[in-house]
Amino acid sequence: METFVQLVINGLMLGGLFAIISVGLTLIFGIIRLVNFAHGELLMVGMYLTWLGTVKLGLHPYVLAPPLVLVLFVIGVLIQRFILQPLLDARDAHVQIFATVGLSTALINLALLVFGADLYATPASGVRESITLGPFRILIGQLVMFVCGIVVVAALHLFMERTYLGRAIRATAQHRAAAQLMGVDVKRIYIVTFGIGAACVGLAAALVAPIYPASPTVGTYFVLTAFVVVVLGGMGSLHGAFIGALLIGLVDSLSAFYIAPDLKEVVIFALFILILLFRPTGLFGLGRGSE
Amino acid sequence: MSDRALPTRRAQHRPSPGMLASLALLPLLFVVPLLIGDDFVFHVFITICLYGALATAWNIVGGFAGQLSLGHAIFYGIGAYTAGLLVPLGISPWLGMLGGAALSAMVGVAIGLPCFRLRGPFFALATIAFLQVIRLLALHFTGLTGGAVGLMVPLQTGWEWMIFFERWPSLLIAFGLLALTLGVTAWLRHARFGYYLVATCEREPAAAAAGVDTLRVRLQAVALSAALTSMVGTFHGMYLTFIEPEAMFSLAFSVQIAMFALIGGIGTVMGPLIGTLLVVPLTELARGWLGASALGLHGFVYGTVLVLIVLFVPDGLVGLFRRAPAAGGAEERGETAGSAAPASVPAAPREAGRRRIGEPILVAEHLHKHFGGLAVTQDVSLTLRQGEVLGIIGPNGAGKTTLFNQLSGFLAPASGTVRVRVEGEGFIRPATPHAFARAGVGRTFQIVQPFAAMTVLENIMIGAFHNHPGRAAAREKALETAHAMGLWAQQDMEARSLTIGGLKRLEIARVMAMEPRILLLDEVMAGLNQTDVQRAIRLVEAIRDSGVSVIAIEHVMQAIMALSDRVVVLNSGRVIAEGRPQEVVRDPVVIEAYLGEDFVHAHSA
Amino acid sequence: MLTLHEVHAGYGRTTILHGIGITVGAGEVVTIVGANGAGKTTTLRTIAGLVRPTAGRITFEGEDIGRLPPHEVVARGITLIPEGRQLFPFMTVRDNLRMGAYTPHARDRMARTMDEVLDLFPRVREKLEQHAGSLSGGEQQMVAIARGLMSRPKLLMFDEPSLGLAPIIVKQVFDVVERIVATGVTVLIVEQNVFRTLSIADRGYVLENGEIVMTDTGATLLRDDHVRRAYLGI
Repeated sequence: METFVQLVINGLMLGGLFAIISVGLTLIFGIIRLVNFAHGELLMVGMYLTWLGTVKLGLHPYVLAPPLVLVLFVIGVLIQRFILQPLLDARDAHVQIFATVGLSTALINLALLVFGADLYATPASGVRESITLGPFRILIGQLVMFVCGIVVVAALHLFMERTYLGRAIRATAQHRAAAQLMGVDVKRIYIVTFGIGAACVGLAAALVAPIYPASPTVGTYFVLTAFVVVVLGGMGSLHGAFIGALLIGLVDSLSAFYIAPDLKEVVIFALFILILLFRPTGLFGLGRGSE
Repeated sequence: MSDRALPTRRAQHRPSPGMLASLALLPLLFVVPLLIGDDFVFHVFITICLYGALATAWNIVGGFAGQLSLGHAIFYGIGAYTAGLLVPLGISPWLGMLGGAALSAMVGVAIGLPCFRLRGPFFALATIAFLQVIRLLALHFTGLTGGAVGLMVPLQTGWEWMIFFERWPSLLIAFGLLALTLGVTAWLRHARFGYYLVATCEREPAAAAAGVDTLRVRLQAVALSAALTSMVGTFHGMYLTFIEPEAMFSLAFSVQIAMFALIGGIGTVMGPLIGTLLVVPLTELARGWLGASALGLHGFVYGTVLVLIVLFVPDGLVGLFRRAPAAGGAEERGETAGSAAPASVPAAPREAGRRRIGEPILVAEHLHKHFGGLAVTQDVSLTLRQGEVLGIIGPNGAGKTTLFNQLSGFLAPASGTVRVRVEGEGFIRPATPHAFARAGVGRTFQIVQPFAAMTVLENIMIGAFHNHPGRAAAREKALETAHAMGLWAQQDMEARSLTIGGLKRLEIARVMAMEPRILLLDEVMAGLNQTDVQRAIRLVEAIRDSGVSVIAIEHVMQAIMALSDRVVVLNSGRVIAEGRPQEVVRDPVVIEAYLGEDFVHAHSA
Repeated sequence: MLTLHEVHAGYGRTTILHGIGITVGAGEVVTIVGANGAGKTTTLRTIAGLVRPTAGRITFEGEDIGRLPPHEVVARGITLIPEGRQLFPFMTVRDNLRMGAYTPHARDRMARTMDEVLDLFPRVREKLEQHAGSLSGGEQQMVAIARGLMSRPKLLMFDEPSLGLAPIIVKQVFDVVERIVATGVTVLIVEQNVFRTLSIADRGYVLENGEIVMTDTGATLLRDDHVRRAYLGI
């Protein structure tokens, strides 16, 4: 029983990390209707930047989080403005996917060129220590991720509900043409949305770098899980992504222990396929899974 | 007549300059390494042939069928493993190649069957998920696959074992595989199957209405593509003499194959090979400049080139060559060409006497349908008789189109039946759009559904293939139909450049080329001016006189009054009146629900 | 106030409008009559900036607006109430109305506008906290009109406001349109109910196959033989 509870705790903490990565993905997914295959590579870039900042400047990764959020926001804005926006009215709806696939491949291999295939562990004091609650242990770094996950999702939720810009973003997602008729500059909305999605990844990178070493393909690992989370939670749904992230965190932690460590991903992907086939709208989706 | 046929013949055999050039250059892939004789050159050319073959095979699903697969390494890996596991048992990899191809085709169908209803990115994500599952399982079951350690293929040389001391036999096999995939694609591009595939990819509903079993066509495509990919995988495994799950079921490799095709231009025969030919030597050159050990250089070049191509040459490299003919086609257009062509109607009725309305040919009974809580069809029954025109009118939102969708298999009624009489078989109950088409039911769509990238003639051919599987015969039938529908002058135009009137005629032409016995017309008069309405009325009359029974949804009352033998009035999903047109328009219920007092005042004024 | 001069427009390579000319004076109610697909909706969408004219000029209060993106057109005081309502289904009615006042000019006076608009639509006030998608068709049309008014437009364009509604609701919609007209807003309206629309319009244009074939006062067009035959089914 104690093992089970510990596994649940681990799963929920991991879910917090998935939540931060997934909310950005689900925003881009739900609002721009774009599957960003390069999302994981943005995380990877953020992790290398964290490593650089920590090792070269001697700063704690958590201190690097605010500037990383800013840097990734700018990178996101640039990608949307100069790569994806020109493709907005393309004849074939797939070309935006091609562009993000190309970007993803280019970034992975750029990292391989610059850093090689080695793993880069980011040193950070205190992050790997743990606090004990009776018989249970929680890694401080994971607790921080979990708390940040809740804060990010709550903040984004308030932003979307309470501000003019947030409402305009939701309106654009629900009816693009009608939003234009209200006076919303849809292209600007898309740029801001992609920026926010990338900024979330900036935060995630700073938090995850001290726990998982950076490598060229680290993004692929996380983003595939994030896709599962997004589809499970329902694309475009913030609280869906949060609950989905916690669920997938639990599945990850429990199946690794009870089935086999190297088969936990099989369980997650099998689950993913089942969701796609039988409930493509996810748990909280708005019904756009397979039109 | 001969001067008319001339432009079409030119259009029919119109291989692009790019295609001609690449056909001429193709043998060079085999000859150049033989002349140079350098081992490294051999290796590069073998790689080009294999990657080109993989990209070409991928293109059958990713290009022609329009399903973005990022999991094609599944089939590549299956091919390699099937042969690799059989060789130690003393079974030749040639047999393994066939076995692997068969297994891959089956796996492809098994994955495609549930996944083909997913669109675009979701399909891509599903294929990635399948690939990951298979890769992880392959890593897990070390007993079978060697796990992360991998498997060495026993070094038995000779043709029987597909492993050679010299380089040229490997090149010959690689080149042969490339030629095979190109040949299959070239055949496909010009066969009914290829037309069906492109039509399905572009507008599935319209393809289904033209009698295409869209799921089956897609599954055949994936089976073909998987089998070819698998064959290349078998040979590549033998060539490398080492197979491991990480390399054989690699996501990066899957993406790379797709990228070659995307860079070259998907949905074309030569595009994928051209893409491969551009980037593979490019990376080899770049490697020369930057030093041989530049890890990741390949992928960086591929990814960057893909982004640039997508931004600046959206149709891929092949698109560079194809611009010119499209522009030429647009020039031929113009109002004069459009209006000069007479809307001559199909052959005059054989007997000029009074039409005979015969036995019931389509019977719908007690149809019910609801979306969510909203009942859109409530207990609707109607009967169409042989040789009759049945008009359906009613306000917007009355459920007319929903009813049509049930009469043509696009929607299954929640309860109730639709029966169609087929000669020699009596009444049958078709369930799918193509089954309805096979039973002789053709339909048009309220919002026109042209295959925009095809020419007008090719659009009509999609319908004509229904009864004429051969390309030549289908073309003949399509030309005949184009002439009858007043689309002769526009036959080589891309469908997207037609006017609304032209698109409406094309919609009818495509369905008429199927030679239906029952025709469902959904608001074909909408948006036409008076002259065009008159023309359309004459057209429908001629269709009726040629023996086709017609159900027409229409708002243009003038046409309904002129054409209909009987009229059914729908309101809020129910039949509220039925009868001869003159009776129906005087029915107080109809006036209140649809025509309005204004209509009556206007008539009495 | 609004002038279209020789405007051509379409989708992709399909041209729908072949050089149409329309003027709307301040305070006028103008209607465009035509068959389904003649180009009425395209005309409104072109004015709104959703469709870019391929040739010709569109001026509003003396300024060329033909090349402006939709949000710039709205900012200048032209609001289109689109065909088929196009509400934001998963937002509350209140948020839909707030979105109507998105332009900076309208945002400043939103609270007052909201009161004025809700006075015009007492039924909408009762539904403020409901999701727009859960309303009936007639209620949605009322919200769509109210949302359009939230922008405090100088020119209000209606695209088929009675489309797909039950006859009894159609009457209510027309009552609302008449009340809006009475407040002095300039109106350009496209509507399948030709009889009713021509009755309230100062002037009308007849659009066939993307060309204006006739223009006159509403009353005169109502008596015209061609109009009666083609659009009133007489």
